[in-house]
Amino acid sequence: MSATEAYRRIQVFLKRYNLPVADIPLWIAGMIVAVLWIAPFVWMVSTSLKPPKEVMTKEIQWIPRTVVLDNYQKVFEYPVLRWGLNSLIVAGTATFFGVLFGAMAGYALARLHFPGNRWLFAILIASLMIPTEMTIVPMFVGFLKAGLANTYFALIVPAIPNVFSVYIFRQFFLGLPDELEDAAAIDGANRFQIFWRIALPLARAPLLAATILLFTTNWNAFLWPLLIVFEEGMKTMPVGIAAFTPVVGTHTQLEGFGIAMAGVTLLSLPSLLIFFLLQRYFIEGISRTGIKG
Amino acid sequence: MSVSASSSLSKSNLLKRLRHMNWQGERIDWAGYVFVLPFFVPFLTFTVVAILFGAYIAFTNWSIMGSPEWVGLENFTEAFKDPWVRKAFVNILRYGLIIVPGVTFFGLLFALYVNQRWPLSTFARTAFYSPNVVSATVIGLVWVWILDTQFGLVNNYLNRLGIPNIPWLTSTQWSLIGVSIASIWWDLGFSFVLFLAALQEIPADLKEAAAIDGANRWQTFWHVTLPQIRPALSMIVTLQLIATLRIFSQVYMMTNGGPAGSSVSVIHYIYTEGIVRFRLGYTAAVSLMLFFVILVVTLIQQRLIRERD
Repeated sequence: MSATEAYRRIQVFLKRYNLPVADIPLWIAGMIVAVLWIAPFVWMVSTSLKPPKEVMTKEIQWIPRTVVLDNYQKVFEYPVLRWGLNSLIVAGTATFFGVLFGAMAGYALARLHFPGNRWLFAILIASLMIPTEMTIVPMFVGFLKAGLANTYFALIVPAIPNVFSVYIFRQFFLGLPDELEDAAAIDGANRFQIFWRIALPLARAPLLAATILLFTTNWNAFLWPLLIVFEEGMKTMPVGIAAFTPVVGTHTQLEGFGIAMAGVTLLSLPSLLIFFLLQRYFIEGISRTGIKG
Repeated sequence: MSVSASSSLSKSNLLKRLRHMNWQGERIDWAGYVFVLPFFVPFLTFTVVAILFGAYIAFTNWSIMGSPEWVGLENFTEAFKDPWVRKAFVNILRYGLIIVPGVTFFGLLFALYVNQRWPLSTFARTAFYSPNVVSATVIGLVWVWILDTQFGLVNNYLNRLGIPNIPWLTSTQWSLIGVSIASIWWDLGFSFVLFLAALQEIPADLKEAAAIDGANRWQTFWHVTLPQIRPALSMIVTLQLIATLRIFSQVYMMTNGGPAGSSVSVIHYIYTEGIVRFRLGYTAAVSLMLFFVILVVTLIQQRLIRERD
């Protein structure tokens, strides 16, 4: 390829992306910032694969000189599998019902005519202004007094009602044409049949968006599981792994950050994977509603 | 027999009448209540009922044992005198002053960059958003490690530039800043996505018109882009401010409020006093105060935005 040919190709490339030559430095600067922005994740994985001697050092080694899995082995000496299982059960159940109940409520608020309809939606929006943390003391007392601490029930049920879920379904069903449902109504189907057989199967996009956003939110939940569970075997993964922090326990001070980084690598894997594979839904879901999970 | 027949007749009459009842000129869809029930019953229990119960506890003296004893405003007068409460409230305002401008400025900057759709902009979008999808545990531990005084990545690089070690998380001077840095990294993705969506809504002909008028990039941003994204901007600032006043998990993970309470937040104080030490009435009162602060801040902010428009 001659120099002029290469030059021509670059010209075409820049034109296609609408990138003026004068802006190339700006483009490169932005790319450097983007790479730096994910560098903490790279450092996390890199640290998790190093032998202890190479972790606590002043040297900066982005790629481990020797790759070992010792840290991961040590993480599994803790009940990490049990915590992971708890997290899966809790996040899975809470997400399933969160999506289902959100779809039902969103459908009713968008399409069904009944007194109180608008009031309920107003309460929903107003609740976004109320910090959930306001309720931690009464919630904690309530569940403790009811003897529900350290149970799946306590972890799952408060996580089910999710405003994002209602909101995104309501928005979708508001835009659905009436004709589809009218035809079914003429055929004698009742509201539940119409919802289940016609409306819900059409709502693929909000179903996916709500499922992945609710799942990551529930998987990452921290404050409530931290409060309501104090038995080691009932902890969720974020709370279990949190014990590696040097400010709460002494473990990391003694052993270094290798094990802790192995723990958080395992913990972040599901959320990051779901995000990388399905990021379109994340971004559309958030930008359409202005609510995060 | 005739009695039962007439009662079942009136019953079916009642049902019929209900079924044909109108509201605002249209037939009422009773199924609506059944559809909203599974969501709204737990939702209202865990918000409205919990808040009312919390408000009641705030006026009592209650440690988990025994029953709550009404003490009037005692918890509030004590909270106003408590130096830790003052410290926690001052700290959340300081967090707000660092994190909110940080997230807003960089979120907008990154969104403007990605919105150019230059090569690899999808990668940049993924990168800028990704920290937002992981849990507080990940953010906390990764940044405790990166900001470690002796072996942390940041200080190692600073050392190479001849800057001595900064005790990011272990000194009263720096701890709040250290936690704020991690928080900006964590929170930015959310506002970034909202800014990006707002930028994509701007009609293309507005920018073309500005370009024809010979406006440079800065002028276009200031006179065309910024007024167009004003509603998104005010929403993002409000949401981020509310989120920051509630800061907890990062603090718990990175400093546990220390050293000497220099990074403690209100929720963290509620956690240590209420949940760990069981001072329920007292911390319920502090929660109410936090709620009030958030309400006032939100109202002031919305008033300011409305006046400027």
